[in-house]
Amino acid sequence: MGLIEAASVNEVAAHGLAARRGTFGLNVDRFAATPGGTAVLGPNGAGKTTLLLALQGLIASRGAIARPARCAAVFARPAVLRAGALSNVATIVRAACATTAHDAERRARRVLADVGLEAFARADARTLSTGQRQRLALARALAVEPEALFLDEPFANIDADGRPALRELVAGYVAASGCALVVATSFLADAAALCERCVVLHDGSVTVRCDVAQLAGCGDPYVGALLAEARLPA
Amino acid sequence: MLAIAGLSVAISTASTAIAALFAIPGALWIVHGRSRARALLHAVFTAGLGLPPVAVGLAVAFAFWRSGPFGAVDLLYTPGAMIIAQTIVVLPLIGTLGVVTLGGGDPTLAQQLAGLGVPRRTRLTLLAREVAPGLVAAVLAGFGRGIAEVGAAQMTGGNIEGQTRVLTTATMLSVGKGDFGEAFGYVAVLLGIMIVVAGVAMTLQRRWA
Repeated sequence: MGLIEAASVNEVAAHGLAARRGTFGLNVDRFAATPGGTAVLGPNGAGKTTLLLALQGLIASRGAIARPARCAAVFARPAVLRAGALSNVATIVRAACATTAHDAERRARRVLADVGLEAFARADARTLSTGQRQRLALARALAVEPEALFLDEPFANIDADGRPALRELVAGYVAASGCALVVATSFLADAAALCERCVVLHDGSVTVRCDVAQLAGCGDPYVGALLAEARLPA
Repeated sequence: MLAIAGLSVAISTASTAIAALFAIPGALWIVHGRSRARALLHAVFTAGLGLPPVAVGLAVAFAFWRSGPFGAVDLLYTPGAMIIAQTIVVLPLIGTLGVVTLGGGDPTLAQQLAGLGVPRRTRLTLLAREVAPGLVAAVLAGFGRGIAEVGAAQMTGGNIEGQTRVLTTATMLSVGKGDFGEAFGYVAVLLGIMIVVAGVAMTLQRRWA
């Protein structure tokens, strides 16, 4: 994996990206994400997670990748430390940002309140529900104050009436910090709320690359299914 | 009595420490390694759970017998031979429990920590903290098996007073003599040691919880 020469501030970019996970192969000729946000859509097994992992340098890949120094990710199934929710966030902030214990805890308290987990600060993170864990994962990702944020199905297990507030939280952070944003999602609402651009993946390759606003006319059958679902009568 | 109990603790501590030194890296390799030979080591660990201490004692005694392959080292009927035998008895238990502990956590935790920008050294510390209580339990189980076994200790140590007599072999001798009072005394001390060790282990586990 080579690095493209210092990219413009807070941009994630890749050229000729190829990665393997087991028998699955990903081949993406070009990819870019800015604070405007790029949504990654596609059916299960299309390569959304593999693309995010490769962009972060968390799996071996070929091709050129540029990303800011400080990145953070929310995984689809967040793994947590054997500790309280507050301690989970504070420990990671302290390690990732090389800050004092006091500052780490202050930041952890703030983000836990932001994601609505302040009542669970002392609760063992492993006992949290899937949705609460996802909130915790978002909290710790925002707490390290990244310059690029990689979200993999970040709101999949969040209750429907909780999602808009969390989308707003992410959008607010991105707007304030100028952080580059990549969102792999199965919800058009995530793409619409957070991203200007989007790519659609099928079998490890990008088949559609367009503005989110133009998705309706892209003709991709998977996107068609997403749109049809969104239009279901109440 | 004090000397016998002390020797029991010393031999079991030494053999447990040596066994852990090999078993835990072995378990790490089984869980995280790439080679196909991992399955073989895992099978050896698992099969070793049922290894009778008398069989180990027999093999070690044979190896160090005066006319045996390692007879020249003159180790038979010394604490050294007992430690070797006990290490073999204890190693599969620590290894198997180690595999369960190390393989039990979320396999993506290390990757997720990296994805949050946690430096490698801190990642390793955090991962070690995740598995510490389980590893403490594995080592404690090993110590318990070591200090409680009698077959290997008898065969490789010979139950020589003041030299290789440990609590289990002393108990057997007392019962042989019909001195049940003495036998119960040894067993009480043995149980006392395990209670203290369990207390220490639980304190450690709580500190890391």
